[in-house]
Amino acid sequence: MPPSSTLSAATPQATGLYERLAALDPVVRAPDARREALDRFFRLKSRREKTGRFWRIDFDSIVPDPRSIDQGFRLSVETGDPVVRALDLPAAAREHPAALARAMGATGIAAGKFGALADAFAARGVFIHVPADHACDEPIVIRYHADAATAIFPYTVVLAERGARVTIVERLGAETQAFVCGATEIVTEDHADVSYAVLQQAKEGSRVIALRAARPGRDARIAWASADLGGELAAGELRVNITQPGAEARLTALFFPRASQHVDLVSTVEHEAGEASSETMVKSAARERGQARFLGNIRIAPHAQGSDARLRDDVLVLSPTAHVDSVPALEIGANDVKAYHGATVGTIDEEQVFYMQSRGIDAAAAGRMIALGFFEPAVERFPSARLRDEIRAELAGKLS
Amino acid sequence: MPEHGLRIANLRCRVAGNEILKGIDLTVEPGRVHALMGPNGSGKSTLALSLTGHPQYEVTGSVELDGEDILSLPPDKRARAGLFLSFQYPAAIPGVKVANFLHAARQAEKPGDMPPAKFRALLLEKMDQLGIDPSFMGRYLNDGFSGGERKRLEMLQLAVLAPKYAIMDETDSGLDIDALKDVGSCIAALRASSEGRDMGLLIITHYPRILQYVVPDVVHVMIDGRIVETGGHELAHRIEREGYDRLREEAGASTPLTPSAAV
Repeated sequence: MPPSSTLSAATPQATGLYERLAALDPVVRAPDARREALDRFFRLKSRREKTGRFWRIDFDSIVPDPRSIDQGFRLSVETGDPVVRALDLPAAAREHPAALARAMGATGIAAGKFGALADAFAARGVFIHVPADHACDEPIVIRYHADAATAIFPYTVVLAERGARVTIVERLGAETQAFVCGATEIVTEDHADVSYAVLQQAKEGSRVIALRAARPGRDARIAWASADLGGELAAGELRVNITQPGAEARLTALFFPRASQHVDLVSTVEHEAGEASSETMVKSAARERGQARFLGNIRIAPHAQGSDARLRDDVLVLSPTAHVDSVPALEIGANDVKAYHGATVGTIDEEQVFYMQSRGIDAAAAGRMIALGFFEPAVERFPSARLRDEIRAELAGKLS
Repeated sequence: MPEHGLRIANLRCRVAGNEILKGIDLTVEPGRVHALMGPNGSGKSTLALSLTGHPQYEVTGSVELDGEDILSLPPDKRARAGLFLSFQYPAAIPGVKVANFLHAARQAEKPGDMPPAKFRALLLEKMDQLGIDPSFMGRYLNDGFSGGERKRLEMLQLAVLAPKYAIMDETDSGLDIDALKDVGSCIAALRASSEGRDMGLLIITHYPRILQYVVPDVVHVMIDGRIVETGGHELAHRIEREGYDRLREEAGASTPLTPSAAV
């Protein structure tokens, strides 16, 4: 890596970042903790140390202009349920620090390089707190939006107490040249059930990094679903740390880079307790010069007997110039487990097109229907019919 | 005044370099039922797929549909001209729901001719006729369908698209007797309707069983890429009694092609 692309703590931009930290909310994060997190950001290597033949994103050079941080941060929350607490992060830190602390920082999200960056600049975001045994039927909608050429660090914390149930939809948008580095942490206590879906529709030229981690309790459920459809760069991780038996995790990701978009996604399920199950489904397509990398981690600890882990990953390559790398990584330490991994990489099937053509549908329309169909099993796992229709419309737009 | 009918003249087809069809002449008139019989590997399915426009087949000769040359058209335009193939092996398309597909196909072939509510009513009526559970509408197209379910769905498409000419490629194979009766009554109902009265049918089969339910006006026998005999429906009964061996000898045919070369 050329030295000029490596930002060290001595550069003026880095100095600017440290100065900017001092102006952020001291209650959400103490100034010392922020500095320590930013130190770690600079010290840690990015997960993608090597730039490859098809991959020229240099994660070390994409830190934002310090002056733009939080200058164009738009945030709103819609919830019709008065029992559910939905608060701005600064208000939550002041009014309900104990509840917030049960979830914020509980997933170890700040351990990685960009998790540390999100942690350093965590100042605005949302805390959702669902009390025990309460079922929130209407999805809560969180909107984050970054204005053009600004940087935001949205931090979302969800605490679902014992037996609670909630569905949350995050809509993440950004104007051109914006930088987003967000974190979402979810703690589902015993028997709780949380579904969290993200639709990312950032504009061209923006860069979006999102770290998302959940820790389900005993017999608790967590469902992640993310659709990364915008941005010049969309990177991040969906993670579940299973530490209690009986937990059920479902991870769904779909993405579709086209033009010059890059996607870099990691899914990670850590089975640290036995008798728990996880199921990961990833559907991706790429066209034009779109590039994507997906790394699917499943780790089953030696004592996690009775784990059931599934990973399904399908790639549709729509142009010869598009490229998707898909790498499963299963580490299985226990012997009495079920672990399944299946992957396909393909193009639009000529026989399928012919069949549809034989019913009067022209080849281009047939190709679009087939590609939309390819995504459909993943789309169906998103909550709310409106969100699903919106994702289908976005995908159709990318196919035309 | 163009001549009506699906008129096939001197049709030859090569698949992966092998000549499978060696000059087929056959005309299906409006409202008439033709049966095409022949042993495995004789080229029957190749004829069906050639007419439909399979992208990997090299086809020469001429095919006119009511006077329009369709051989130079892509498969979708052939379908819009009024040609339908009930596939022997219909493709599975995961993620595409049966209801959406049927609607897209009807819109493509007969744009705007039927309001959605009426189309839905038509679907329900035809599904009932074919013994198809309404839950099929929400399933992915042919995905995880049994052989019989696929064939019933092909018939449902035939019924809702009401083409001018339909080729049924071994629709009977893999169907039990009840399913076969359902298919037979569906075709009878379609042919009795105003939309389907003039439909010409080419039924490809190697068993005469289906012909009890849809009685052919003309029976052709294909061996080794050629039509070697044409007659009335009694020809089907003769084949049932005698098999294809005598016809094969009379035709002087070489050893039958392997099925894999003829698919």
